[in-house]
Amino acid sequence: MRTGIFFCQVESDGKMNIDAIAKYAANLPGVESVQDYGVKPDLTAKHLSLLIIKDKLERVVVAGDMPGFYKPVFTKAMYLSGANPNEVRLASFQEHGAIGDIALERAKATVACANLGVPFSLAAVPAEGPVYPGTLVIGAGIAGIQASLEIANAGKKVYLLERTGTIGGHMAMFDKTFPTLDCAACILTPKMVSVGQHDMIELMTCSELIEVTGDPGAYKVKIYQTPRYIDVEACVSCGLCVDVCPVKVHSEFDVNLSKRKSVYIPFPQAVPNSYLIDGNSCRFIQSEGEKCGVCVTKCPKDCIDLKEQGKIAEIEIGNIIIATGYETLDISNIEQYGYGKYPNVLTALEFERLTNASGSTGGNIVTKTPRFDRKTQQEEWVFEPDGIPPKSVAIIHCVGSRSQKYNSYCSRVCCMYSLKFAHLIKEKIPNVDCFEFYIDMRAFGKGYEEFADRIRQEGTFVVRGHSASVEKRNGQLIVTGEDIINDRLVDFNVDMVVLATGLVPSQGTKNISNMLGIRQDVDGWFSELDYNGNPTDTERGGIFVAGMCQGPKDIPDTVAQASAVAAGVLKSLSSGKGVGHLTSVSLSKIEARAKKYQTV
Amino acid sequence: MAIRVNLRLIDELVRYGAEDVQYCYHCGDCSTVCPHADAVFRFPRKSMRQLQMGLEQRIETTLEPWLCYYCGQCSEQCPREADPGETMMGLRRWLIARYDITGIARQFFKSKTVEIISVIVVGIITGALLLYYGFSQGNLSIYDGEGAFLPSSFIHTFDLIIGIIMVFFLIVNALNMGYLTMRKGCDYPVPWWIYIKKLLVLPWHFFTQKRYAECENKRETKIFMPWFIHMGLAFGYMIMLILVMVFIEKLQYGPEIDWSVHIFGYLASVGLIIGCIYFIRSRFRKHHIQYKKTHSTDWVFVVLLLIITVTGIAQHILHRTGIIEWANIIYVVHLICVAPWFLRMPFSKWSHLVYRPLAMYFAAVRREALERQEEGLPSISYSYK
Repeated sequence: MRTGIFFCQVESDGKMNIDAIAKYAANLPGVESVQDYGVKPDLTAKHLSLLIIKDKLERVVVAGDMPGFYKPVFTKAMYLSGANPNEVRLASFQEHGAIGDIALERAKATVACANLGVPFSLAAVPAEGPVYPGTLVIGAGIAGIQASLEIANAGKKVYLLERTGTIGGHMAMFDKTFPTLDCAACILTPKMVSVGQHDMIELMTCSELIEVTGDPGAYKVKIYQTPRYIDVEACVSCGLCVDVCPVKVHSEFDVNLSKRKSVYIPFPQAVPNSYLIDGNSCRFIQSEGEKCGVCVTKCPKDCIDLKEQGKIAEIEIGNIIIATGYETLDISNIEQYGYGKYPNVLTALEFERLTNASGSTGGNIVTKTPRFDRKTQQEEWVFEPDGIPPKSVAIIHCVGSRSQKYNSYCSRVCCMYSLKFAHLIKEKIPNVDCFEFYIDMRAFGKGYEEFADRIRQEGTFVVRGHSASVEKRNGQLIVTGEDIINDRLVDFNVDMVVLATGLVPSQGTKNISNMLGIRQDVDGWFSELDYNGNPTDTERGGIFVAGMCQGPKDIPDTVAQASAVAAGVLKSLSSGKGVGHLTSVSLSKIEARAKKYQTV
Repeated sequence: MAIRVNLRLIDELVRYGAEDVQYCYHCGDCSTVCPHADAVFRFPRKSMRQLQMGLEQRIETTLEPWLCYYCGQCSEQCPREADPGETMMGLRRWLIARYDITGIARQFFKSKTVEIISVIVVGIITGALLLYYGFSQGNLSIYDGEGAFLPSSFIHTFDLIIGIIMVFFLIVNALNMGYLTMRKGCDYPVPWWIYIKKLLVLPWHFFTQKRYAECENKRETKIFMPWFIHMGLAFGYMIMLILVMVFIEKLQYGPEIDWSVHIFGYLASVGLIIGCIYFIRSRFRKHHIQYKKTHSTDWVFVVLLLIITVTGIAQHILHRTGIIEWANIIYVVHLICVAPWFLRMPFSKWSHLVYRPLAMYFAAVRREALERQEEGLPSISYSYK
């Protein structure tokens, strides 16, 4: 087939040696002409069609970092010149991982595949090797739990790693799930309990990955286990230690809305259902054994050992699943909404804890009340169970999402959880006014649009227009915005503002990315192998991504992806072969395979 | 009536300085933070929308661009970096071109070359005329009176001719603006007495530029600095204009200083020079969002003004110190810059000195008429109680 290869870059940092690739491409079979158009060329279909006619080209390969950008003009040129417009093949360097040391080899390989008309993923198949039976799951949120259960139920060993003291992740904090309004705990807790009781799952809480060595299928990992100071097996969760503990700190699980003791259980349904001691605040540990230590004497089971040391566990595993999840964006620097300045401006996660029946107010939606703290001699605003319920609430979408300043991407779940909040508010407080300020309503899933309609019918004022400011005038919160559909500027007096904060990758993502050699995309999420075809695999053999850490997604999608990951792991375990790194496939091997599958 | 859509409108606006209109996704943040947007005139989002939809005939009848003073809060807030503030600026330039019936403004805004060449051509013609006049009847070593190189009586005529041309175009364009905004743009009746009732708005805004001072309501300092400097520049300009148009004989007479006239001249010079330097410096520093982008026409204006002010001061000093030959030469340079600067005025951003107060006036009239119209119409309720 007579082929013409055209190099067009969209962005270039000058690191890619295009000349070398062009020289290589010129020697490929069937190549008639090679053109280098440089960075951001201004191409016209007419000019290109003349070139195509001149060389009698039957196939065109557009090579570059993002060649899809130029595909339309080449298709048009092919059409104009009378050739088959479908024979425009793309050789995308960025998409196929032409980065780092292997950049040049990989770029050549993509061009070679495109030249032969073979999809890159078909030609680049890594070598296989033996696989260890164990699987490591990093992160025990809903994704990690689901993947672990699937694999363990198939009879394979799973090591479930969790940084905090309990499994459950963010989903354990939620009250209801959209759009069905099912109780989140009712779905999650049974799964958590089965994880805790499963023979094939070894739960490692308060643990962090510190080192990964070995080859695909035969990884050796080192895990640092922070001491819990309480023996999980012996503890019966009587709670006597909590009564005597003198230290009070903010509860992470309750997003700082309530206080907990230094010895605590994150929430009553926690798995493992045992207390733990926070070494950063415990008086005994901080003073190196000079003060306090009352809990040890009080414990009826003698399971508290305040001198426990952290230990390093080494395990051999075949596959690794990353399910590290997300964090909410820190919005304290988005000043216009007054978060941190006005007490009744809440983030979504705070509101989620407020409305949760296990939260500090028992699920009552109330405004904060001032309370004088004797210790710090300062007035602080807290949620009391008998606080005053708000008369009107504003919910502002897209806080920090879809913005060039913060997150340029859509966080995908905010629209729906905001609508859910509106429903919960309407449900719990009679005669409340509820305002939703949105830019675009992204109700994308099954039953979501119907849910949005239902919320509108319930009497929530859904204002199409984003509010840009929350102010306090005469002690009254005022939310201003533009109601675009009704064409007017509006300002509402509200008692509470809920900000639908965007999502960002969790803080350890960078670290894990370095440790495992998995790339992060521009937004910081883990890069999957192929967004459409292989959304759970990564470039590294035997390492999978599941859930939010790959990109924002809702609970159904997270669970689905976790199960898909489990299928990938079980595939390698049942065949007994670990998949190697895609990055290790050499150019000659790709060429050979591409020749085998080439289309005419 | 069907509305004609101009799909190329956004592309056209790029030449006027509004480059990022297409990024807007209509969140309404800009309208919310704008201190000037209110129930009747909601901008900049609405203008962005009209631009995206290509409603050319709708935009040319709007007053919103003139109500914006470009404090830049909207552009700072914009999550899409669509730069609504700069869009309003670009729209003002586009409107100036629209109001101008000759089409010269359009050419100036669209092409840097056309503008600079025309400025140079007018300058050369003026220079040639002045030199011919000077050498044919006068002496380079005499500054004023009998046998002077450029006697003040001649300059007076020269000024008046330029002034009349300028005022003629300004009035014609302003009438065009009035027709577009008040006849074509109002689909509701505007009773004649409202025009009279609101007449005071015109001088009020012309002399105080009050709305500019209200910009950026969340600022830390009490006085909005750009407004203060703008006031200095505007007053300096107005005083100078009156001095040159009416009292030029007294102004040029010398070498002794006539304080009754010259004190105003000095004050005006201070205002002009501080204003020029402030705006040129800001445009180089780009510390504030409204100075980040500068259209070529802005540079021509501000640079010419600086040259005019400096040469004006220089020839004054040279004349008083007795270096008459050089004073005359500098005077010629001064007038070479003055002629194109004045003649360019109705076709450039500078014409906002007429359009802005007029727009405030029209806006007040429209608002009153609209409120009369909308009395008794039901409003949208956002509450059950």
